[in-house]
Amino acid sequence: MEPIKYNKPDDGGGNEQETPKEEKPSSLIEKIQQLGQTNVPQLAQDSKIHCLTIVGQIEGHMTLPPQNKTTKYEHLIPQLVAIEQNPKIEGLLVVLNTVGGDVEAGLAISEMLASLSKPTVSIVLGGGHSIGVPIAVSCDYSYIAETATMTIHPIRLTGLFIGVPQTFEYLDKMQDRVVTFVTKHSKITEEKFKELMFEKGNLTRDIGTNVVGTDAVKYGLIDEVGGIGQAMKKLNELIAISSEGTEGMVQ
Amino acid sequence: MILYTLTPPEMIFTNDNQEVSQQKMYHLDGIPLLVESDAEGAYRVVRVMSSDPAHYLDERCTPGAKISFL
Repeated sequence: MEPIKYNKPDDGGGNEQETPKEEKPSSLIEKIQQLGQTNVPQLAQDSKIHCLTIVGQIEGHMTLPPQNKTTKYEHLIPQLVAIEQNPKIEGLLVVLNTVGGDVEAGLAISEMLASLSKPTVSIVLGGGHSIGVPIAVSCDYSYIAETATMTIHPIRLTGLFIGVPQTFEYLDKMQDRVVTFVTKHSKITEEKFKELMFEKGNLTRDIGTNVVGTDAVKYGLIDEVGGIGQAMKKLNELIAISSEGTEGMVQ
Repeated sequence: MILYTLTPPEMIFTNDNQEVSQQKMYHLDGIPLLVESDAEGAYRVVRVMSSDPAHYLDERCTPGAKISFL
């Protein structure tokens, strides 16, 4: 077979190996000469699957000092709204590697993910601790890497507080919000989740349990052990199912 | 505010937080970026904030890349 020759007429044969980037100026000039205008730089077409990475601390009502690596909810929530509204986006992959953070911000993100009408798949890599647990289970289907861990422990007080029974009740209510969300969106029972939360002897300075990949699946917290490949495959399956569903509804 | 995290509070709120973050948001052709201004007045990309995975393949805004307005 004869190889296809790709000579630009005005360039001569000298720089065939130039990258497309180098050719751009001349084609741009051509366009301006022909049409009197140029395009806004076009990126590759929109991806139909978007990806949210939730890393470090989840930052909520208070800006954390700059040495903390944070995921801010004022960034994530508008992105979720945009994903819900954009018809070109068909599914969402949530990648988690978080140590926890603000309860309200974490629950807000979890609720947004749970109520998203598009298929969502989460994957816990490294760690999905504390408030990362409700975020991981909020998606339609959840994966955990075999070596990833999720720490389930009680909510603690930070900063000033007054030692009265009401403080404990308030804290208990906050904890209940997390427990209710997790048990509602995963297969784990409330008893089991609370048992893991108040277990002694697993964590050195704390009560709670560090749940590793396969155990998280065994307890029903996460759906399956897997990585990016399985997660993408699952997401594509869910997208296919949901598009069938909408076609049916049109008829 | 209640933090539900593994990180101990003394590690989150260290005493030496005099340093004010120089980071701000910047949009490059519709790609939301977290940038940091350097001494020369140019911006250095810290993080790509987009949810579109294709944006992460854009050479112009890989973390560490400089954006200058000259």
